[in-house]
Amino acid sequence: MKAFWTLVAKNLHDARWSLFLTSSLLGFLGWLLVHVASLQETKIRQALAGSGKGFRWMQGMGLDADPPSVEIMMAFWNHPFIILLAAMFALGRGAGAVGAEIERGTLDMVMSRPVSRSTYLAAHALTTALGLLAIAASLAVGAYAATFYNVLKSPPSLGLLMEPALNLAALAWPMYGYTLWFSSMDIVRWRALTAGSALTLAGFIARVIAMIPVFKDSWWRPWAERASLFTLYDPVGAVAGRGHCERDMAILLALGAGFVALAFLVFAHRDLPANS
Amino acid sequence: MSLVAGFPGSGSASLIVSEGLSKVYGEHHALRDLTLEVRRGEVFGLLGPNGSGKTTTIRLWLGLMRPTRGKATVFGFDCWRGGLEVRRLVSYLPGELRMPGSLTGLGVLRFLSGLRGGEGLDRAEAIAERVMKLDLGRKVRKYSTGMKQKLALAQAFADPVDVLILDEPTSALDPSARHDVLNLVREARDVGQTVVFSGHVLSEVEAVCDRVAILRRGRLVHVEDMHARRHLRMVMARFDGEPPAPPEELELTLRRMHGPAFLWEHRGELAPLLRWLADVPTADLAIGTEDLHALYDQYHGPDADDDEEDPAR
Repeated sequence: MKAFWTLVAKNLHDARWSLFLTSSLLGFLGWLLVHVASLQETKIRQALAGSGKGFRWMQGMGLDADPPSVEIMMAFWNHPFIILLAAMFALGRGAGAVGAEIERGTLDMVMSRPVSRSTYLAAHALTTALGLLAIAASLAVGAYAATFYNVLKSPPSLGLLMEPALNLAALAWPMYGYTLWFSSMDIVRWRALTAGSALTLAGFIARVIAMIPVFKDSWWRPWAERASLFTLYDPVGAVAGRGHCERDMAILLALGAGFVALAFLVFAHRDLPANS
Repeated sequence: MSLVAGFPGSGSASLIVSEGLSKVYGEHHALRDLTLEVRRGEVFGLLGPNGSGKTTTIRLWLGLMRPTRGKATVFGFDCWRGGLEVRRLVSYLPGELRMPGSLTGLGVLRFLSGLRGGEGLDRAEAIAERVMKLDLGRKVRKYSTGMKQKLALAQAFADPVDVLILDEPTSALDPSARHDVLNLVREARDVGQTVVFSGHVLSEVEAVCDRVAILRRGRLVHVEDMHARRHLRMVMARFDGEPPAPPEELELTLRRMHGPAFLWEHRGELAPLLRWLADVPTADLAIGTEDLHALYDQYHGPDADDDEEDPAR
């Protein structure tokens, strides 16, 4: 077990800057979006009371008439910046696990010691899971802290904010999983990162297309929706108690665990060539 | 020092055993039918130019790659299926060394010993500071290539293992550090460790190795016992008239013949040879030794035979 915790400590050391930057940015965004929600809360309520373009946009975000403040806040958590930050951390971690280490030549240093391949990947996966929890917590804490400095009609508790934050972390977990899988069979970083990014982008595009009203009755719309991980990320539903937040998170975690298991399988049976 | 008492191959004189070990990448044969044994307590040299299969052999022994055919065992453990057990008993210095630059020298030693359960850290620090003269408080990214190699060597020699595998351990070192490394190799042998020494500097291999294997294009072409080689004399003689046939008891092996001039290898007693040469019509005589370079050149020199080519190389 000593080797495992040594690897976890080393991975945390390696990830410290990306973790710090991602957490800081998400904490700041959490704060900023509460500030925006505070400034816009009255206008948003007015828009929801009407039936114009603004009303439809709000409905698209999952808001009903006269929602609690936290639901208005959560509508902003669908912003691509938030998803992008979590995705970048997950994709970067996944791509860096094996391919990048072979490319840099640093995998030899570890794998020539008495470390099993499963220990190596398990330490990597645990570090990433801890990192995702940390960045989710920083988003919730940033938003919660902002509620003390911004006026909201009904400020939420930290516990309530943690639910959508954990939904975000769960969304990033399968992204890490499939990028780790690609990385586990490769010898360079860029290919795994490109494949992971392309898959993530495809999922995002599928979700966006499925939401376009003109395609509402298309036969393929349910398939496009189901094919996208982003369908399972619903911060408004998480705080409103609507939807299936626990079920969606369980699906995301299971998908991620499946991809990580595939990565273990591939990594256990592959050759580890020298970097030259 | 021995960690292997009670392990499958702990009673055997052969510690690393390769049987028909082969590695093929598509059409390229990186290693072909390597059958070889490394004995307990010896310093075993691996020689050959780049691409001859040395590093592939080492990576197969460490369980980092799966053999296409054949098998290798270390202490009786199958190198692929029991790679973890093998690496517990073996310390490896990679030829192309990369280290995390964000750690200090001491941080790297702590990390590497942590991967071995925390063993050998004190000794690694002592070797790095006292023998290698490294400042362990500096970040590794500020180390030169040679300093990084010294740091890795300190860890390799400090590991409480029975086998050291050193892949080009002196490639980036200055002459005095090379001397220190060769001394550490000798010390390792003296305390009963087995050392596999892969390198390109023939004088170093010659200085420390007990046996040397020469690889060429993935094939083992020769294994030389260096102790026997140190007793080898090269006898060059030219005769007047009809060249005499040397008696068998002189243990002369003909290397080359050109008219009345002969070049023999001689490993026996010198006095009977000199007596025989005095009795026959010797016109000219030279007796000398032969370094490893001459042997190496038989397989890799400009005059080496190149008739082993095949399309699946």
